[in-house]
Amino acid sequence: MKPAQNAPCDPQIVIDHLTKEFAVRGDGKMLRALDSIALTIRRGEFVVLLGPSGCGKSTLLSIIAGFQHPTAGEVLHDGKPISRPDHHRTVVFQDYALFPWMTVLDNVAFGLKAQGISLKQRVEVAQHFIALVKLSGFEQRYPHEISGGMKQRAAIARALAPNPDVLLMDEPFGALDAQTRVLLQEEVARVAFETQKTVLFVTHSIEEAVFLGDRIVVMSARPGRVQRIYDVPLQKPRLPETRRLPEFVQLSEDLWESLKPEWQLQ
Amino acid sequence: MSQPAARSAAVTDVSQPPSLARGRVIRPQGLRPATRGVIGIVGFFAVWQLAGSLGLINEFLLPPPSALARAYYEAISSGELFENIAASMMRVTIGFLLAAFCGVTLGIVLGWSTTIADFFKPIIEGLRPIPAIAWTPIAILWFGIGNGPGYFLVFIGAIFPIFVNTFAAVRNIDRNQINAALCLGANTKLLVFDVLIPASLPVIFPGLRIGLGIGWMCVVAAELIAAQSGLGYAIQQSRVLMQTPNVLVGMITIGVIGFVMNVAMGQIERRLMKWK
Repeated sequence: MKPAQNAPCDPQIVIDHLTKEFAVRGDGKMLRALDSIALTIRRGEFVVLLGPSGCGKSTLLSIIAGFQHPTAGEVLHDGKPISRPDHHRTVVFQDYALFPWMTVLDNVAFGLKAQGISLKQRVEVAQHFIALVKLSGFEQRYPHEISGGMKQRAAIARALAPNPDVLLMDEPFGALDAQTRVLLQEEVARVAFETQKTVLFVTHSIEEAVFLGDRIVVMSARPGRVQRIYDVPLQKPRLPETRRLPEFVQLSEDLWESLKPEWQLQ
Repeated sequence: MSQPAARSAAVTDVSQPPSLARGRVIRPQGLRPATRGVIGIVGFFAVWQLAGSLGLINEFLLPPPSALARAYYEAISSGELFENIAASMMRVTIGFLLAAFCGVTLGIVLGWSTTIADFFKPIIEGLRPIPAIAWTPIAILWFGIGNGPGYFLVFIGAIFPIFVNTFAAVRNIDRNQINAALCLGANTKLLVFDVLIPASLPVIFPGLRIGLGIGWMCVVAAELIAAQSGLGYAIQQSRVLMQTPNVLVGMITIGVIGFVMNVAMGQIERRLMKWK
């Protein structure tokens, strides 16, 4: 029996009627950034949050990471409410957030050090992940000595090293040039496929969403709501050729048609 | 035919400006800044000596460099100078280390917790404007004459710039770096020692440097009044004995040591922050 579409089999992250409000500076009003979000992310699934800026997608990711708390509703990770950040959900940031005083190796090994793993083993595991993101040979470089694309590769290796259940990626390629972006999308597709990680990926690029996602959650702005969820009818692993498939082109166009009014409002 | 020629001319034209620009960089006489500095110092002493030799300045009030050289030689050969340097250095080192430890700790705690900062800020802001020298009388009452007032005044002088810089550094830390550390599972110890302190160091270190400079001034001030040894005590004694050259010897030594300490701190800073 095939499970019905969108029905969560083996849910990992359950977002239950989550609302987030911020106090507006000056007047006593509250600004509603997220309005009653309900979403289930299955184990091993690649979910993309897509929407215009101001739709609260980064706020939602930040709440799932445990950096912020919801105003109402809750987020469950394997049935347990998320109250603070921990190494089961690691984050890749748009500005990399690498530690500039540490070498690539020490950056990647940081999460392992936090777990009290011995130095020898840390280096071994870190080197494995550095190889996975194709950064071997750059272990002893400092972040300021490598390019933006390499920094993001290092940040991805650092997030994967503590073996998280869920990888949270917050517009990770927003600061990169178009070509590097395409290459890194392919790397992320490969790494996610090889490691079988659950990934939540925030972006405002339709192509990126279609190329990477199993499901695309389209959000609308002010307040942030789930507008529609799209299943991506593309096989895995996603390869450079995937971009030329008629399904890829069709879904990209459909998404653009449905998102255009939102984007024009900006 | 004419087109390729024109194009190649254009290419040579493009390559021209950088070499021209390089020629335009101002580098008078090809002297290095350090060489110019040495010339400045030598010139200063030469003019001073000349003015003294020509009888333009009162030799008792401002002895010429030749008299200072003699006084220096005596102070060094008797071992007195080094004893005084050692005494002052010991006081500034202990006072400074105490101030560094307390200032950095306080800066981190108050920088991290707005609630705790609210309790302490008014006290700190009230104490900060009091010059270290103004603490001298009470320091003598508390600690008597000796090392105590020295340690204390250096501490008072050095702690504020160290605290202020650490506090500002922790307050302005990149929130994403903290979040990255937290989601990677860092506990408080790892967060403080592997993230918070190294991230703040580029701002903490100039605070330490300023603190040491002020501490060095404070130790001399303390010794002028409240000690029986040290460079400050030596210049005060020389004044009482009307030995103007020795007063100047002490002053110059204080200046030179302050300068050397600043350079040394700069070296340490560069080495610690090679990732910058």
